[in-house]
Amino acid sequence: MDDRLDLPQGTLDLLILKALSLTAMHGWAISERINQVSRATLQIPQGSLYPALHRLERRGWIRAEWGASDNNRKAKFYELTRAGRKQLDAESDAWARLTEAVALVLDMT
Amino acid sequence: MFDELWSDVRYRMRALLRRDSVERELSDEVRFHLERETEKYERMGLSHHDAARRAALAFGGVERAKEASRDNRGTVLLETILQDVRYAIRGLRSKPAFTTGVVLTLGLGIGANAAMFGIVDRLLFRPPPYLRDASTTHRVYESQTEPGGATRTEHNTQFARYLDFKRWTHDFSSIAAFQTRTVAVGEATEARERPVTVASASYFDFFDARPVLGRFFTAQEDSVPVGTPVVVLGYAFWQTEFGGRTDVIGKTIRVDRGLTTIIGVAPDGFTGMSDQGVPALYMPITAYAWGFRGRDYSKNYNWGWLELIVRRKPGVSLTDATADLNNAYRRSVLAESELGHQKLDLDATKPKASLFPVQLGRGPQAGQEAKVVVWIGGVAFIVLLVACANVANLLLSRAVKRRREIALRLALGVSRGRLIRQLLTESLVLAAFGGIVGLAAAQWGGAALRALFLPDEPAGVVTDARTLGVALLATLGAALLTGIVPAIAASRSDLARALAAGARDAGAARSRTRTVLLVFQAALSVVLLVGAGLFVRSLQNVRGMRLGYDVGPLAVVSVNLRGAKLSPAETHALGSRLVETARGIPGVSLVTPVASVPFWSNEGRGLFVEGIDSVRKLGRFILQAGDTNYFRTVGTRILRGRGFAASDGPIAPPVVVVGDGMAKLLWPGQDPIGKCIHISEQDAPCTTVVGVAEEMRMRALDDAREHTYYLPMTQYDAAPSDIFVRVSGDAADYSGAIRRALQPLMPGAAYVNVRPLRELVDPRMRGWQFGATMFLAFGGLALALAAIGLYSVIAYGVAQRQKELGVRIALGASRGSVVRLVVGGGVRMVVIGIAIGGIIALWASRWLGTLLFNESPKDPVVYAAVAGVLVVVAVVATALPALGAARLDPNTALRAE
Repeated sequence: MDDRLDLPQGTLDLLILKALSLTAMHGWAISERINQVSRATLQIPQGSLYPALHRLERRGWIRAEWGASDNNRKAKFYELTRAGRKQLDAESDAWARLTEAVALVLDMT
Repeated sequence: MFDELWSDVRYRMRALLRRDSVERELSDEVRFHLERETEKYERMGLSHHDAARRAALAFGGVERAKEASRDNRGTVLLETILQDVRYAIRGLRSKPAFTTGVVLTLGLGIGANAAMFGIVDRLLFRPPPYLRDASTTHRVYESQTEPGGATRTEHNTQFARYLDFKRWTHDFSSIAAFQTRTVAVGEATEARERPVTVASASYFDFFDARPVLGRFFTAQEDSVPVGTPVVVLGYAFWQTEFGGRTDVIGKTIRVDRGLTTIIGVAPDGFTGMSDQGVPALYMPITAYAWGFRGRDYSKNYNWGWLELIVRRKPGVSLTDATADLNNAYRRSVLAESELGHQKLDLDATKPKASLFPVQLGRGPQAGQEAKVVVWIGGVAFIVLLVACANVANLLLSRAVKRRREIALRLALGVSRGRLIRQLLTESLVLAAFGGIVGLAAAQWGGAALRALFLPDEPAGVVTDARTLGVALLATLGAALLTGIVPAIAASRSDLARALAAGARDAGAARSRTRTVLLVFQAALSVVLLVGAGLFVRSLQNVRGMRLGYDVGPLAVVSVNLRGAKLSPAETHALGSRLVETARGIPGVSLVTPVASVPFWSNEGRGLFVEGIDSVRKLGRFILQAGDTNYFRTVGTRILRGRGFAASDGPIAPPVVVVGDGMAKLLWPGQDPIGKCIHISEQDAPCTTVVGVAEEMRMRALDDAREHTYYLPMTQYDAAPSDIFVRVSGDAADYSGAIRRALQPLMPGAAYVNVRPLRELVDPRMRGWQFGATMFLAFGGLALALAAIGLYSVIAYGVAQRQKELGVRIALGASRGSVVRLVVGGGVRMVVIGIAIGGIIALWASRWLGTLLFNESPKDPVVYAAVAGVLVVVAVVATALPALGAARLDPNTALRAE
């Protein structure tokens, strides 16, 4: 647990959008997926997921709908909207360029 | 981007309106998450209890997460505001007396402003409806310097001048001439006098109005000199007289003498430039002028009856346009002088044309009423300030009482900003209610005000968008002014001391604020009351002034021949018949034909007197003529010599009765009886002065240069213009009877018009009447508010000082001295206010000077009276709580908390 990394500001939105780009999920599933894929390196306080989800919903990048989960319980599913998909592309692009630039700076001798 | 905005708005709306279901969803979501996380740990082998704990840990604070989610909904601000409003309303409902008092106070202040703004707006700001581009449209005024030095400005001009302007200017895209006249419309007995606008065809180019039916007249129909007898109906006239029927086009209607054809109907609300009632018809100016005057009208400069409006070409500045206009004007004046073979001295007369905004209230001839109205607008604003000061004081007292509650809330973690916002919301809610009450009062009172101030305006909606806007501004301003001081003061309360001390403890700073507010109120009341006093005295002066004739019992009978052609002998016979018949009407005591009617039509002739170079330079001399009982009929007193006698016939030596002012002017220090004047020509036979009489106020109430002289009708060189009828009682009661008795004598389509003289005179006094009434009303209001404020402050102070006063009484102070102490404190504040207010009034009153009548703006009687009134009011307002203080039982007072 100690070698988990804290999430840099503002990237939570990007991760959520990416997670939802593959399929619609409910909040817990998003949390699990990010956990799994990052091999448990990223430390996201799960509580901060929900404010982020609500914010993204307000801005129209994801859409919410109540449905039945895999064990037949009621859950709120989120999916990416077209505007959200465009936002995801834009933000991943920006992220890639940022990390590239930072890497270049760090590499200089 | 817009999609984002739209989904944002939709989301927030849902969060606001379906709050409960949104909350429930959030709880469900979080619960679901925790359940699944718990199950995950259970599957890893932990007990349910441990799993739940791990899940909770992994999640972080549930409430915090929920709170953060709520924040992200974007409705936090709105929700807290709604919460504040609900809280404020609850608090206000628990104190009905306080709330009612404040709401009424603010309502009166806001309502007064909304009502007055509507009127000021009409007079000064709002251009006529449908006018396109009011900023480049101007009225034309001409001024010339008269012999004697005074500059005379006119906005009436001649048709020939209008043609000259069209010919010789190049900076204007349109020039139009127009006038609104009262003309008989209709056939014979159904004829009624109605306002008719006669205008050049270019008139309609100034407006964005499209005819509802048919069309407007064209330049071809407005050709000099004859024009075409067509008319465009006004919308209201079309509705009432033709039932709004669409088949009116092509029908004929009699206007004045001739038949005209209807070619169109103007749109609803269109009044052109008219400020004298809603026109019934619009007619080409040439057609009207031809019918009225004859061929000459376009060639000579005798008949000055039109008004002009012009529109500057785009890109032309006002100075360039004015210069262009002046060039043309000078050329025109030169042409005029050549035509009349008169020598014209351009340097002496300095003819000048100027461009003014379209609203009459902003022109050089803005009537006295317009100026008074603007002042009253300012007064209404002052009343609002006084009302706000009062309410601020009340709110401050209330905030002090709530110190404990506020300190507690601060201790519980409410931020100061939130607290201030909440207190401001309270004053906003109060102001909002006040605003609603104010608008209702403005609607009701405003209609009455408009009837007073703008009786000729078409009745429209009293409160429109702009007035509502002003009311809103006043409300917000009131809320801020009243709320900000108490809110900040309250939020600064020292926590510990407030919680420990009772609600009674008042900080010294706070009572200083209240004192300042009170002094402010007193000062403003003084200013208003001084204005009221000055106007009341002016009104008294106006009313008490000798006009030179009796107004109440006189009726004016005017004859309108409507084109019936009568020879001079027939006209004379008709006149005599009318006079004889009028004498026989029951209730009529005396009748005389006259040449001039006050404030309606004046006659004049050139006068020549031996030893005086130019009589014209000395003043304006108005001619009046009447028959032998003229002076008794009209009520003009004879001061010396005699009036008219039967012996003053057409072949007898010409005689004149001069006005006393005229006598003093022409023959200072000498006896005017027996002196000569020569009328119309230098070498006319001597007209001997046989008497001196009062002068009549004919054109203005207060023009010292205006004089009258009287000739017997038998020696007057023209026909009488009207007839004065004196009744026993009030002329208004007899108008109908007189008309019915005289109308049968009229030939053909001619008719008589009977008006009480009061109708012509009263409007002249309107300005002072308004000033007096409104200043008194508002001044009284401000005073009442200040008195209430003073009373509440003193009462509060007494309650605060119960302990101190109890100690004084216990130590042996007499009740009287306690009363004196309290009253003294209150009166001292008011006296400071009186001093400050008096200084402000003295400074501001110099602008009021021109609006007063025979009254100096520094009249000491008024100032002394106002100071006296305020001191008396202050004593009364403080006496009540002071007497209460005097009756304190020292024991209970000392024990009180």
